[in-house]
Amino acid sequence: MTLLTDLAHNLAEILSYTPGSPMLFSSGLFWGLFLLFLPLYSWLRDRRRQMIVFVVLFSFYFYYRCSGSFVLLLGATSLLDWSLSRLMLRCPSSAGRKACVAASLVASLGVLCYFKYANFFLWNWAALVGHNFEPLELILPVGISFYTFQSISYIIDVYKGRVEPTRTWLEYAFFLSFFPALVAGPIVRADYFLPQIHNSGHADRSEVYTGLWLIILGVVKKAIIADYLAQYNDLIFNSPGAYSGFETVMGMIGYTMQIYCDFSGYSDMAIGLALIMGFRLAQNFNFPYKSQNLTEFWRRWHISLSSWLRDYVYIPLGGNRHGTFRTYLNNFLTMLIGGLWHGAGWKFIFWGAMHGAGLAVHKASRPWLGRLGDSWPVKAISWLITITVVMLLWVFFRADTFGDAIILISHAATDFSPTYLAPFAAARTLWLIMLLLIIVAHALPVNFWNRLGDMFVRSPWPVKLLIFLVVVQCVVELQEQDVSPFIYFQF
Amino acid sequence: MKASYKGTWWLLATAFLLLFAVSAADGRISLFGYEPKASDMYTRLLGSRQEQPASGPETDVVPAEPREEKRPEPDSLPKTILLFGDSMLEGLSPRLAAYCKASGHSLYTVIWYSSTSERWGSTDRLRHYIDKLNPDYIFVSLGANELFVSNIIDKRTRYVKKILSDIDTIPYVWIGPPNWKEDTGVNRMISDNAAPGCFFLSDGMHFNRKKDGAHPTASSASLWMDSVVRWMPEHCAHPILLRVPTEPTARPQRVFIHQPNE
Repeated sequence: MTLLTDLAHNLAEILSYTPGSPMLFSSGLFWGLFLLFLPLYSWLRDRRRQMIVFVVLFSFYFYYRCSGSFVLLLGATSLLDWSLSRLMLRCPSSAGRKACVAASLVASLGVLCYFKYANFFLWNWAALVGHNFEPLELILPVGISFYTFQSISYIIDVYKGRVEPTRTWLEYAFFLSFFPALVAGPIVRADYFLPQIHNSGHADRSEVYTGLWLIILGVVKKAIIADYLAQYNDLIFNSPGAYSGFETVMGMIGYTMQIYCDFSGYSDMAIGLALIMGFRLAQNFNFPYKSQNLTEFWRRWHISLSSWLRDYVYIPLGGNRHGTFRTYLNNFLTMLIGGLWHGAGWKFIFWGAMHGAGLAVHKASRPWLGRLGDSWPVKAISWLITITVVMLLWVFFRADTFGDAIILISHAATDFSPTYLAPFAAARTLWLIMLLLIIVAHALPVNFWNRLGDMFVRSPWPVKLLIFLVVVQCVVELQEQDVSPFIYFQF
Repeated sequence: MKASYKGTWWLLATAFLLLFAVSAADGRISLFGYEPKASDMYTRLLGSRQEQPASGPETDVVPAEPREEKRPEPDSLPKTILLFGDSMLEGLSPRLAAYCKASGHSLYTVIWYSSTSERWGSTDRLRHYIDKLNPDYIFVSLGANELFVSNIIDKRTRYVKKILSDIDTIPYVWIGPPNWKEDTGVNRMISDNAAPGCFFLSDGMHFNRKKDGAHPTASSASLWMDSVVRWMPEHCAHPILLRVPTEPTARPQRVFIHQPNE
């Protein structure tokens, strides 16, 4: 009896919303729930309406477990957007349709600005006029930046006629709240995803195992590598200047790989889960640190965001249609907004602005860069410059303050000595091995990873089980009590 | 269930059950000499709740009756203070350093990330720092990484006793972990083993947390340290003079940092 009472109490606690403890894809809780979800989903997959209702309910529960009562906000946002899209369809006049778009944008962006940027604006305003600043007690709903961008793209696409509005709210809610991509992307585009609701079917065995392979890759990247690298990186970034220049540089390199593993690992898991369910989400990362310039980097990093910014900010601003200067300016403004999307702080704006400036510099230098040719030394130098810029800008992104970032960079530049390598390797062997492993893994050709994925899919079931068990046990072995949430949850 | 899903479902289910079994065995499984670390799945699902009286573990945070015995006067001599423990020290140390600076004490901080009573109690690290720094007062902050350990009293009491035996006769205050969930007994274990007036129960206090949901924010951790300092004159067995600082934070004389696996 006591066992049952404890079980009921524990289950109630585990399944309830706990602030600061979102349900991660790599958690035992999600794993257990997915085991219950999958048979029911498989059973309902051909009954389209019931399947949609079931997935929407599961997605809303998933969001409740991550963000509590903000699930009501998600429901309200989806209902408003869907109603306005239907109203737009019935509106005979262009002005009326524009008013629908404006209402939707004001509502979506208004909510986002309130929760994410209100304190930032108030703080700056108070600093400007010399008043005391008392922050509003605001909690940022998890994933609001992601689903807000999805809702904006939907309403604009409906207005432009690129997408038919969904017939029912349930279909729209399915798109907006689809749990694999709900809290940290990839940002799903309506024109790509909505047709799949009607046209896709059961995933075949090969797709299901490919999905499982992606989930395993994601778990390795996020729960093993990123979380382990984070332990050392946090020391460096929490006490800028307290470590030697060599250790600081290692922390910078470590964070560069950590943020990639963290975010691309989450994306892999999201894409894998969707694939198991028979849905395809677009690729979000394509080995970004192989880029030889910043333009290429943004074609490979967080592709769903950069393509969203291109289509809904850069092109509406005029893109490259109004001369060279306007092209650079539009690029710069787009990246500024991209920076602000990542967080309400000057450091994010600076990070975005610097990337914008970098893109402009690259575009401006293209004519003479082209004359340098395509030899390997040119490629190597291009890569080195690009990765250095990206890495230095990540320091501003991660450091608590702008001042901390400056201290870290200046310390790395003035106190660097390679003699620290041997003691560092002796003291932090496993960390260094992890770092080298991910660097090598990232440098391997895409074909290698495709072949490895195919080998996993074709491998016997016991081998798959063994791989899965080894990965999960590695997570348990390396896991600290305080599991790090996904870095991109906060955006 | 469709055939295409069956393989994956059985794989996930088998792995889940195996991991659950390892968790239930809790370190009592050995595979060719390798002892897999157990996750907390079993404890979280089937672990019994900690039976606590309404007032929580024995503590002097809010005494039911005013004490009649004469309280010792706070010791006002300058002290060498050692603060050791887990990552919670990142928040506590700067504020305690400010108190020490204002009161003429020297503070040394030893942060061992992700450490537990087991790590400190099974190594000579504490003894090493006591010998090296020769402190005449100690603050401990440990337990946050042990909130959900099953059968903790059986497993960890000996380590707490070892820590206390290392501290020996040096006056100390053990600052309990800032619970973000109900624990499985760590507060009770420390409270039962610490000397009267040497344990500060942090459970039940309100904290603003960092994004990880566990660590108090810098300002919240400062208030936490303030609470400990306010508690000391009336309830601590060995109160020392800690003047309210004018600066919000300060740097300790020295900070020693240890990695989780060191």
